[in-house]
Amino acid sequence: MSDDEFLRVSDVSKWYGEEKVLEEVSFEMDRGDVTVLIGPSGSGKSTMLRCVNRLAEAQEGSILLDGEEVLSPDLDVDELRREVGMVFQGFNLFAHLTAVGNVALGPRRVLGLSETAARERAEAQLERVGLGEQFDSYPAELSGGQQQRVGIARALAMEPKLMLFDEPTSALDPELIGEVLEVMHGLVDEGMTMLVVTHEMSFAREVADEIVFLDDGRVVERGPPEQLFDHPEEERTGRFLERIASHD
Amino acid sequence: MASATRPATVRERVADSDRSVGRLLLVAAGALFWGWLVVSWVNRWLGGVLVPVGQPLVPAGAVEATLAAIPGLAAYASDAAFVVELTPELARGTWLTVVITAVSLAVGFVLAVPLAVARVYGRFSAWVSLGYTELLRGTPLLAQLFVLYYGLNLASYVPGALSGVFARDVVWVAILGFTLNGAAYQAEYIRGALESVEEGQITAGRAIGLSKLETIYYVVLPQGLRYAIPSWTNEFVYLIKYSSLAGFITVPELYYRADQIASETFRYTLIFVVTGVTYLALVLTASKLMERVEDRVAIPGIGSGSEE
Ligand SMILES: Nc1ncnc2c1ncn2[C@@H]1O[C@H](COP(=O)(O)OP(=O)(O)OP(=O)(O)O)[C@@H](O)[C@H]1O
Ligand SMILES: [Mg+2]
Repeated sequence: MSDDEFLRVSDVSKWYGEEKVLEEVSFEMDRGDVTVLIGPSGSGKSTMLRCVNRLAEAQEGSILLDGEEVLSPDLDVDELRREVGMVFQGFNLFAHLTAVGNVALGPRRVLGLSETAARERAEAQLERVGLGEQFDSYPAELSGGQQQRVGIARALAMEPKLMLFDEPTSALDPELIGEVLEVMHGLVDEGMTMLVVTHEMSFAREVADEIVFLDDGRVVERGPPEQLFDHPEEERTGRFLERIASHD
Repeated sequence: MASATRPATVRERVADSDRSVGRLLLVAAGALFWGWLVVSWVNRWLGGVLVPVGQPLVPAGAVEATLAAIPGLAAYASDAAFVVELTPELARGTWLTVVITAVSLAVGFVLAVPLAVARVYGRFSAWVSLGYTELLRGTPLLAQLFVLYYGLNLASYVPGALSGVFARDVVWVAILGFTLNGAAYQAEYIRGALESVEEGQITAGRAIGLSKLETIYYVVLPQGLRYAIPSWTNEFVYLIKYSSLAGFITVPELYYRADQIASETFRYTLIFVVTGVTYLALVLTASKLMERVEDRVAIPGIGSGSEE
């Protein structure tokens, strides 16, 4: 356990009804780390992310974020979510708000900034993801890549200490993936702590400090990208990676 | 929208001008109708500043004489004069119809929004809301009015502040009835619209730290209410027509007055055609108004704004 430990997920288990979707999942991250969760569809990657900001409730285990127990029943969940940003596969932008409106809503209504301050912050975040020209566009008027960048700006505007990405590029046409990955690269360079679910293996290889391979709700194997990608210890990991590679 | 980028064909231009002539006529008719109503109401409130209270704005005799002098229209002169004689009563009745509809619709809306929210997002409150809407939508409106008026005798319990606003307190009973009933229908339309807002946006709202209620208020309602406008317009139109049921609990609105005059004069066809036209004018006004509202609040990607 390092001094700088920031997130410690220990033995987290979760059931949906009878179905056990997470089984004693454990991993940890230091501040500024990038951890990439990979695994087949239905393996529990999204569920794991959602347990971290309590969009899903884990029934067992512990998640320590910056020394605080996330799973504690006394925790102020809205406070937690202020500090943990989330980016969704389907963007999930607020359809009735412009790009600025989407990004400013949290600062305005959750952080209580003034209208002007919230707008300024939103504009700065949109500039940061390269959308300085699209302030007043509605989601329906933006490309998928632009929408996802608004989604990232919306999360960043809360000044989170941890960012969760749930397959941020999976819904995008191939030619639009690059612009989103570029923004994510930028965040890595700035030292943002990021927990990322993605099938973009070259991105994972480049930025991840650790890869966690989930299958059937269990951590099958984890380790630095070079080790896990090039010398997987488990047969299942190898098979999964081969399948992914043949899809690309 | 594509037609804007290429020159219009002759046929389109003819169609456009037809449309604009039709539109002009409609606007003129609307202006005449509302002008007549408003001037009639104001004249009555001010105690007959223009013409004595109860008199038509234009003398019926003059209308009859003018028409009689025009060949081809002479045959209609006496009917026209009769209709003109009716107008003060129609204007009075229409006032109540308009007020009852507008107030019931507005207050009903204020009740309907929380009912719909409770229905979609509540637990216990969802059942309460369901019970309420099913009860009010499942029983005849007229029966509801009878219960309020004859059964509960509410007309004699109208609070002091409201009593005397209308010549007869029973108007408040009608407003209450239509409000309670309309709230149930409006709630049902709004519920459907709320459900069409993507789940993912609610998740996103929660993920930035908005509470459930805040998410509903800032994310779901602004979209859901836009989606609800077309069906809500239907409710508006229904209410204009259903407000005639107030006549059955002796509210002297448009239908009630028409019925009374008809039973005194036996000119049923003429009276009810004119009354029908008056309702039609109210209905058209309502739907045009709501079209305008829908345009005003349109957002790309939401509701009718999403179709190119
Ligand atoms: N809200 C829910 N209710 C019931 N079951 C759920 C729910 N969400 C997920 N599951 C189930 O939990 C399991 C894990 O789902 P999860 O979405 O976490 O997988 P995933 O690894 O993110 O898959 P994908 O790659 O398809 O996104 C699946 O079997 C799924 O059917
Ligand atoms: Mg998933």
